[in-house]
Amino acid sequence: MGNRLLSTIFASAALVATAGFAEAKTVIHVMHQGDPGWVKAYGDVAARFEAANPDVDIEMIYAPHDAYNEKFSAAVMAKQLPDIMELDAPFLANYVWSGYLQAVKPLIDKDLLDDMTDSNIAQGTYPIDKDLYAIGLTDSSVVLYGNKKYLEAIGARIPKSVDDAWTREEFEGYLEKLSKLEGVKWPIDTFRGYGIKTEWITYAYGPLLESAGCDLIDRKTWKASGTLDGEACVKALTMMQDWVKKGWVVPTSSGTNQFYAEGQPAALAMGGHWFYAEASAAMKDNVVVMPLPKIGDKGVSPNGTWIWGISATSENPEIAGKFLSFLLKDKDYREYAKTQSAYPGLKSFAAASPLYAEGGPLAIAFEQASKTAIARPPHPAYPTITSAFMQAVDKIFNGGDAQEALTAAAKKIDEDIEDNAGYPPFDEQQ
Amino acid sequence: MTLQQTSTPALGRPAKRRDNKRLWQEMAMIAPAFLLMAIFLITPFLLSFWTAMTNQPLVPRPTPVRFVGLLNFERVFTDPLFWTSLWNVTRFTVWVLPLQCGLAFLTALLLHQKLPIQNLLRGLFFLPAITSMVVVCVIWGTLFQYPSGPLNQIVGFLSGGTIQPIDWLGDPNWAMFSIVLLSAWQAYGFQMIIYLAGLQGIPEELYDAARIDGASALRRFWHVTMPGLRPTHVFVLVITTIQAFKLYTQVAILTQGGPNESTETVVHYMVRAGFEEQKLGYASAVSVILFVIVLLIALLQRKLLRRFDV
Repeated sequence: MGNRLLSTIFASAALVATAGFAEAKTVIHVMHQGDPGWVKAYGDVAARFEAANPDVDIEMIYAPHDAYNEKFSAAVMAKQLPDIMELDAPFLANYVWSGYLQAVKPLIDKDLLDDMTDSNIAQGTYPIDKDLYAIGLTDSSVVLYGNKKYLEAIGARIPKSVDDAWTREEFEGYLEKLSKLEGVKWPIDTFRGYGIKTEWITYAYGPLLESAGCDLIDRKTWKASGTLDGEACVKALTMMQDWVKKGWVVPTSSGTNQFYAEGQPAALAMGGHWFYAEASAAMKDNVVVMPLPKIGDKGVSPNGTWIWGISATSENPEIAGKFLSFLLKDKDYREYAKTQSAYPGLKSFAAASPLYAEGGPLAIAFEQASKTAIARPPHPAYPTITSAFMQAVDKIFNGGDAQEALTAAAKKIDEDIEDNAGYPPFDEQQ
Repeated sequence: MTLQQTSTPALGRPAKRRDNKRLWQEMAMIAPAFLLMAIFLITPFLLSFWTAMTNQPLVPRPTPVRFVGLLNFERVFTDPLFWTSLWNVTRFTVWVLPLQCGLAFLTALLLHQKLPIQNLLRGLFFLPAITSMVVVCVIWGTLFQYPSGPLNQIVGFLSGGTIQPIDWLGDPNWAMFSIVLLSAWQAYGFQMIIYLAGLQGIPEELYDAARIDGASALRRFWHVTMPGLRPTHVFVLVITTIQAFKLYTQVAILTQGGPNESTETVVHYMVRAGFEEQKLGYASAVSVILFVIVLLIALLQRKLLRRFDV
């Protein structure tokens, strides 16, 4: 018996010793999301970095896209923050305000910082101290895809640049015509299939509303009541509700491929830049890329995507920064990003992306970012802002009363800001 | 009679001491269970009651946590969405209860017969219950697809094309019903097993006696089987109601509370408040309210069923 106990102790001691030996390597935890293709791309970069830096172990932690922020909160609660985290740009203000992230300028290679496009710098910057907290290879935009065959059949004008985007009258007129066209089941796919609880709703539909003079929150007083439930927003959302009522919009339960599915039942698609890769693979030259329509006086498009930040609790911020620099410069990672029609956030990457260059099929998306992009409200209450807004949109699209839904959403947002004492110093930003 | 009367006082004193000793023994035996309950049930409940009266966020924040009294409860009760979600779970319970328990009861009766492949059949019927709800949801999500999913094709075929495809999960009038269908199918195996156990607990002699009295199969069912299953019915009804009130997984995976709030449930509402909007205090208030509601329903059910002499 004693012998057995002794050997157990020896065995565990040996285990601890080897574990301790393995610990001699610096471990960098990287939390990220992404489709299987991206996950593989990140994993490959990590392996190459380990090969180049034998004393570092990169541990990739995958968290599913739709539950990412909840997962991250759980990590905060468990005091297990990763060293590096991928984050959705509009949530940056919340993370920095809460004290999770550290400024990355001193940690990232200078040539990369110089290489960043203005919109990329904007999406990683905290509005209060104007410091850079996250960096990414990419940015994003949403454009209007059209089925060339159908558009020609109704004699639609095809805009050549952001400046001559469709007006609301043109847009609704074409939807009407398309709804009567043979072969078209739904005039437009707005990707309701992504679900009713994804950032897509705020990201993609917000700009249409802003174009109509609405906004999620007053960006000076940081109050939602009076803005989100104001006349402009009610009118704009009632307009979108109308499209749904008329049967013009692909329903949620039909998936996200109705634009290029067999028979091509959707004539238009208001989709992210990444959708181009799928659609063009299936439809070849039949895809036209157009700017988002102007609902009101000005065109508005979204920006912001998943970018990389370094957590405030990281014990090895230098190594984390080194890995990020390595990642963003990695050739294969950039090659993979290109196949996904990734939207360039670095000038060197833009130069190597013929899709977005002058005359390229997605040049309009690039042009939009410089001319009409408006970021989502950079406020720490953003998690509540977007959640309340999504809920209201779902209600309205399914026949609910727009005024009622938006009033409830605005109330919820204002309550959250109140509960947090105005998220100082945001309460002084007037 | 006399024997009993004389023997009782004689045994009186030692019996009492023995009772006392037994009481201690029993207490000692339930102590571990009680300790675990105190740690994992009672303490968290008290804590959540306390949290419900603060503005505690999910993750630590630079602003201080304050005691806010009953503000969270007031907000929950004045939020129309909370009432919608409560109405939705009630609707769900009212639909799923007869469907699921009825299905379970019928299959249990069927499987109680002496069939040659009885065990295989029991296994087959129980299969959905041991399949993970997440997997079931993903599979049914495909079945429900609009407009050309398998379910719509079946409906179209059976109706000879007269019934238009139904947007099972996307139409506010259908979404909750679709979730009822899938939930009843996934979980009835559990109730079926309890019914089977109940059926096996009815003594065979009662049936024999009834047969000798010349009772038909139907009468045997009404006068032997049904009374014999009374405690089982009570248990199954109460447990199914409580489970139905906790509806979450199906909603989280398939509809996220939509369309138009038609499938929002209390638990889903709570998770949304706690994890997405990071308002732990508010979510705790919802959980306390849900607890009270479920408790009241369970008490009410017990009382009603008692009245019917069950």
